[in-house]
Amino acid sequence: MTADQISTALDRPGTTATSGPARLADRPRTSMTARRHRAFYMFTSPWIIGFLLLTVTPMAYALWLSFTTFDGISPNWRYVGLGNYRELMNDPVTWDALGRTGLFAVTSVPLSIIAGLGLAVLVNRPIKARGLFRTLLYLPAVVPPVGAGLAFKFLFDQNSGATNGVLTIFGIDAIGWLADPYARYVLLMTVLWAAGNIMIISLAGLQDVPRELHEAARIDGASSWRTFRSITIPLLSPVLLFQTVTGMIASVQTIMPLLLAPLGDTGGVTTVPQSNYLYMMHVFAQYFALGRYGYASALLWVLFVLILIATGLIFKFTSGAVFYNVDPEAKK
Amino acid sequence: MTATSLPPKSSLTDVRVRVRAKRLVLYTVLVSVTGLFLGPFGWLILSGLKTQGELAASPVHWLPEVFQWHNFADAFTQIDFLGYARNSLIIALLYATLVTLSSAWVGFGFARLDAPGKKVLFGVLLGSMMLPQMVTLLPTYLIFAKLGMVDTYWPWVLWGLSAAPYLVFLFRQFFAGMPRELEEAAIVDGCGYTSIFWRIFLPQSWPVLSASFIIAFTWTWGDYIAPQLLLSTDRTTLAVAVMTTYVNDGGTPVPELQAAASVMYVVPILLIFLVAQRGFVAGMSTSGLK
Repeated sequence: MTADQISTALDRPGTTATSGPARLADRPRTSMTARRHRAFYMFTSPWIIGFLLLTVTPMAYALWLSFTTFDGISPNWRYVGLGNYRELMNDPVTWDALGRTGLFAVTSVPLSIIAGLGLAVLVNRPIKARGLFRTLLYLPAVVPPVGAGLAFKFLFDQNSGATNGVLTIFGIDAIGWLADPYARYVLLMTVLWAAGNIMIISLAGLQDVPRELHEAARIDGASSWRTFRSITIPLLSPVLLFQTVTGMIASVQTIMPLLLAPLGDTGGVTTVPQSNYLYMMHVFAQYFALGRYGYASALLWVLFVLILIATGLIFKFTSGAVFYNVDPEAKK
Repeated sequence: MTATSLPPKSSLTDVRVRVRAKRLVLYTVLVSVTGLFLGPFGWLILSGLKTQGELAASPVHWLPEVFQWHNFADAFTQIDFLGYARNSLIIALLYATLVTLSSAWVGFGFARLDAPGKKVLFGVLLGSMMLPQMVTLLPTYLIFAKLGMVDTYWPWVLWGLSAAPYLVFLFRQFFAGMPRELEEAAIVDGCGYTSIFWRIFLPQSWPVLSASFIIAFTWTWGDYIAPQLLLSTDRTTLAVAVMTTYVNDGGTPVPELQAAASVMYVVPILLIFLVAQRGFVAGMSTSGLK
């Protein structure tokens, strides 16, 4: 993109406020193509400007901060080069948090995809009140994080929670679900609770699978599991890849541990049990409990680079496995 | 299961019995899974109907002795529930309206117009969907603090004006599927692209407009971390208030009121979804995003 084009884009504030009919007389006589080019930048400029100001600038600012000891208060902050990065590499807390986050991502993402697919297959059968079941199973995915966090806090409360109530019936002692080492399972269950999201998306994919394929497979004597594995899964693979990538990014930046933790100062980050102390919690603690903006920015940049690498690897290793069914009639 | 224990009289009834047994298993699984999924929210409602004593007691009180309906009224007076709900509503409406219009505007550009650099920009747009928002939010907070925009609603206005990549993509898919003759005729008539957008494309895109508005609204209503960072205790949203302010003067939590309040915080979102469900699903499928 050239400076010319940016200035053309900037000339016309492409905000949504500019409405009304274009005045014919004012329009300069330029060629159709040039007009289309200008119009393209006029229309996309809100996003371009917003992206530069609200995404690129903060990221660059964080990169700069990550080389300093800036804490927002002390005027004596200074440039420390890679000092923060060296410190985080040598901090076992960082590595523990990173490992925990990785473990959480590689368990929660596949499990919620399996759960979502399972639900989709279940409600794709010819059953009574199918729409009702679909709606009810999807509803938890609409519940905002604060609602979900509180619901699970009450459900898994050591004294008054229903889970321990059920366990007691079977003669098992009450478990401190929200503390170490069990808190991680509650966190995992909050993710699975929202599997309706994946159910809906997979359902759309399932309904797109051509009937003839299933019939052909049945005539060939394929079992239903075989049909599922060899026909349904490949056709759903683009959807599954999308879910894997977005699921991974969501699990890396989840704030659910904060919402499941007992109420405390600085947004609860100090009360998060060890087993739910994910990388993002580490960042929060450095940011808000300790005000170490420089160090926390270095942590953020490391996370950002790691996510880029992970996304790249996922795409690389699935490029052969993902099947894009190009339907010539799909484009109406 | 009595069905399976019946002695087979003929092969036909045998098949019928097997089909019935299979159906019974299917419905059992279906109902219990659904029950499991509704359980957490059902328990939250029940918790909101108990006394504080019942919530602290062990072993668990499955049902409240007397249903404490007044908890739901008390939740309004314990904190300024309506005030926080109003803050949430203002921010969510502001953001959802702005971001829906700006995303439609940008989506139109990507769907119907051309320019050098478009491919690269579209790649950046798709790539930015994968950008973890938490990574940008924390430094953004520092910048907003410097600009004196902390404790104002300006951040949501700016976020709203600058379009959301996911919604841009939604609109782009929708607009790209509309027939070319639409704009050609308009251009012949001497219409500019601005009026083509406002007069021809936007009025046709109700399914996507409403889907986008609902997505943005529920997202903002549910957001916890941005208002927690950017707004003070008085101006913050219901999400933050429900999570953090249900404590007595002594600092002890009031769980029964918190449970009641969180139910009232969640229910509007569930209602919006249930009412909009049909149009919403239509919007999602016509945009080709599945």
